[in-house]
Amino acid sequence: MKHAMPLRTVAAGVALLLATAASAQEFTFDASEFEKKPFEFSGYIELKQQHMRLNQDSALYKLGYYNQPRDSIDQTTLTLKPEGKLRSGALTLNARAHLEGDWATQQFDRELRFDEFYGSYKPDPGLTLDAGKIALKWGKGYAWTTVGFVERQKDPNDPDLARQGFTMLTADFIRNFDGALRTVAFTPVLLPVSADVNHDFGGTGHLNAAAKLYLLYNDTDIDIMFLSNGSRSRRIGVDFSRNLGSNLEVHGEWARIDDTQRQVVNAAGAVTTLRQNASSSYLLGTRYLTENDATWILEYYRNGAGYDENELQSFYSYVDTAYAQFAGSGNSTLLQRAASLSRSGVSRPNPGRDYLYLRVSQKEPFDILYFTPAITLIANANDRSYSVAPEVLYTGFNNVELRARAFFLGGGKYTEFGERVNSRRLEFQARLYF
Amino acid sequence: MNIKRLLFALALLVAMPVMAADGNEILKKVDRNLEPESYEMYRKLINIEPSGDKKEFVLYSVKKGRDKVVALFLAPASDKGRATLREGDNMWLYIPSVGKPVRITSLQSIIGGVFNNADILRVDYAVEYNAEGVEEQKDAYILALKARTNEVAYDKLKMWVDRKLLLPTKIEAYAASGLLIKTLYFKDIKDFGGGIRRPATIETDSPLYKGYKSVMLYSQLKKREFKDEVFTLNYLSRVEDLRK
Repeated sequence: MKHAMPLRTVAAGVALLLATAASAQEFTFDASEFEKKPFEFSGYIELKQQHMRLNQDSALYKLGYYNQPRDSIDQTTLTLKPEGKLRSGALTLNARAHLEGDWATQQFDRELRFDEFYGSYKPDPGLTLDAGKIALKWGKGYAWTTVGFVERQKDPNDPDLARQGFTMLTADFIRNFDGALRTVAFTPVLLPVSADVNHDFGGTGHLNAAAKLYLLYNDTDIDIMFLSNGSRSRRIGVDFSRNLGSNLEVHGEWARIDDTQRQVVNAAGAVTTLRQNASSSYLLGTRYLTENDATWILEYYRNGAGYDENELQSFYSYVDTAYAQFAGSGNSTLLQRAASLSRSGVSRPNPGRDYLYLRVSQKEPFDILYFTPAITLIANANDRSYSVAPEVLYTGFNNVELRARAFFLGGGKYTEFGERVNSRRLEFQARLYF
Repeated sequence: MNIKRLLFALALLVAMPVMAADGNEILKKVDRNLEPESYEMYRKLINIEPSGDKKEFVLYSVKKGRDKVVALFLAPASDKGRATLREGDNMWLYIPSVGKPVRITSLQSIIGGVFNNADILRVDYAVEYNAEGVEEQKDAYILALKARTNEVAYDKLKMWVDRKLLLPTKIEAYAASGLLIKTLYFKDIKDFGGGIRRPATIETDSPLYKGYKSVMLYSQLKKREFKDEVFTLNYLSRVEDLRK
C-alpha cells in the first residue's frame, strides 16, 4: 500500500509521455497558408562541376584544340534560374531568366538572357493568348523530337532541361466533347524573324506561321503540326502517345521536311551540297515500368536529313588530312575550313542517320527513399559508336537535388562517338530550389 | 392467403435487385460520402521514413464528374508547378522545366514513398471497381472489389466500410498475383462544411516499403463546378489560375 501512490504517479507519468509521443505523431494541415498571391517568385540555383578527359586522337578535338593542346578540362558552372509571375485578373506576366557563369581551365564565360518573357491573356479555360518570348515544346519523343518546329534543339543527354524560347504570338483554343473524340485543341503560332528578333531561328525577313492540332481520340494523344515555308523550309508532322496498360506507354513521331540540304566533304576536301526535295524523320519509343519500379525508356530515332556512315567517315578522314598538314607545316587553313564545315553539320548534336536511346532508372532501390540510380545509352546505330552514362540522383533533402553522372564514349576510328572531343566526362550537380 | 402470397412475391421482386446490386450501391454511396462528384480541395502528403525523417508535398486538386481529376503541386519549391491530369485511364504529368505534358502510368509515383499516382489522382471507386462480394459484419461491410480493366492500378481491393456512416475505414490493395501492395487507413472524421463529413486523414503502409509510412491530410474540400476544358493536356500549365 505504501508504494501505491508512487506507482500511480509513475503510471500517470508514463501515460503522459505516451500521450505526448502520440500527439507528436498527429498531423495537422491548414491550406490557408497556401493562398494564391498576385506575385510569385521562385527558381533554382545550380552548381555543376565537370571533369572532361579529352580524346586527343579524335577529329573534333583536333578541330577545337589544335592550337591549344590539353588532355583534360575542368569546368565549374554556376547557374541561376529565377522566375516570376505577376497576375492581375485574366492577365499574367511570366518571366524566366538564365544567368550562367562558366569557369573552365584558363577561361571564363558568362551568359545572361531571358529564356521566357511573355504576357498571357486567359479569359476562359478554353482560350489563351500569349505574346512574347515563349518556349513551346512539341512532340512526344523523350530524347529527341522530329516535330519541334518552333523550338530549340533538345539535348538527349539532358532532355528535361529548360530551354530558351523564341519571340512569338500564339493562342490556344481548347474544346472538350463526349464520345471517342474527347478533346480538340488548336495552337496557332506567328513567329517573326529579323536581324533583331529570333535571328537564330533561320533566314531573316519572314513572318513564319506554324500550328498544332491536338486530339485526344480513343485514349490516344494525337498531334498534327505544320510550319510554313519562310525562315526554315516547310514542314509537317504528326505524333501520338498511348498507354497500353497500367505500366506501359508507347509513342511515335513523324515529320516531313521540304528542301533539306547537307554539305558533305570527301577525304580530299571537295565539298558537295546534297539537296533533297524532302526528307522524312521519325521516332518510335516506349516507356515501361517493371514490377520492381524500374522505368525503361527505349527510343529509335531516324534522322532523315542526317549524315550516313560513309559521309561521316569522309569528314573525319578529311580532318585527319587537315591535321596532318597542320602538324607538318603549321598551316591551319584546312583545319579552319573543316571547323567551319563541322559547325554547320557534323559537330551539331545527332548529326547521324539512325540512333538508339535506352534509359533504365530504378526508383528507390534497397528501400532508400528519394534515391534513383539510372543508366543511359545513346548509340549511333549505323557505326555502333555509343555514349553510356551511369548516374545517381538523390532528392531526400528538402528542395535540394543532387546528381552525379559519368559519361563513357566508345566507338572505333571514324565513328561519331569515337571522334567526339571527350572520351570521358564526370559531372556533379547540386541544385537548390527556392 | 392469396394476398399474403402476392405480397411475399412482390417483396421478393423488390428485394432481389437491391441484394444483387448491394455491393456496388454501397460503393457508390461511399464515393459520394467521401467527396462530391465535382470539387476542389487541398492535400498535404507526408512521407515518413523509418528514421522519422519526413518529406511533405502540398497539392491543390480539382475533380469533375466521375473520372476527371487534376492535381497541382504547391510545395515543396522543387516540385512547385508540377501538375498531373487524369481522365479515365489516361494520366499525364506536366513539369514546368520540361514544358510539355508526358503520359505517365497509374503504378508510377511522382512523389516517391508509398502513395502512387493512382492514390493521388483517385477517381470514384465505382468507376474502377466492381463489387464481387459483400460480407456483413456487426459494424462494417467488407467489400471485395475487382478492377474493371487491367489499366487500374490495383487488381483487387478489400474495403472495410462503416455501416452507419458508409465511409471506408480500411482498404487493402492487392496485385493480380494476390500480393498485398499496401493498406490504407481512413481516420479523423471531420466536417468540411457543405454537408461533407469524411475522414480528414489517410495513412498508408506497405509490405514493399517496410518501416515507411505515408499520410494524406485533407483541407478546404468543397463542391465546385469546372469547365471540361480544365481537364485537358493544354490546360495543365495553367491549373494555378483556378485557385481563388
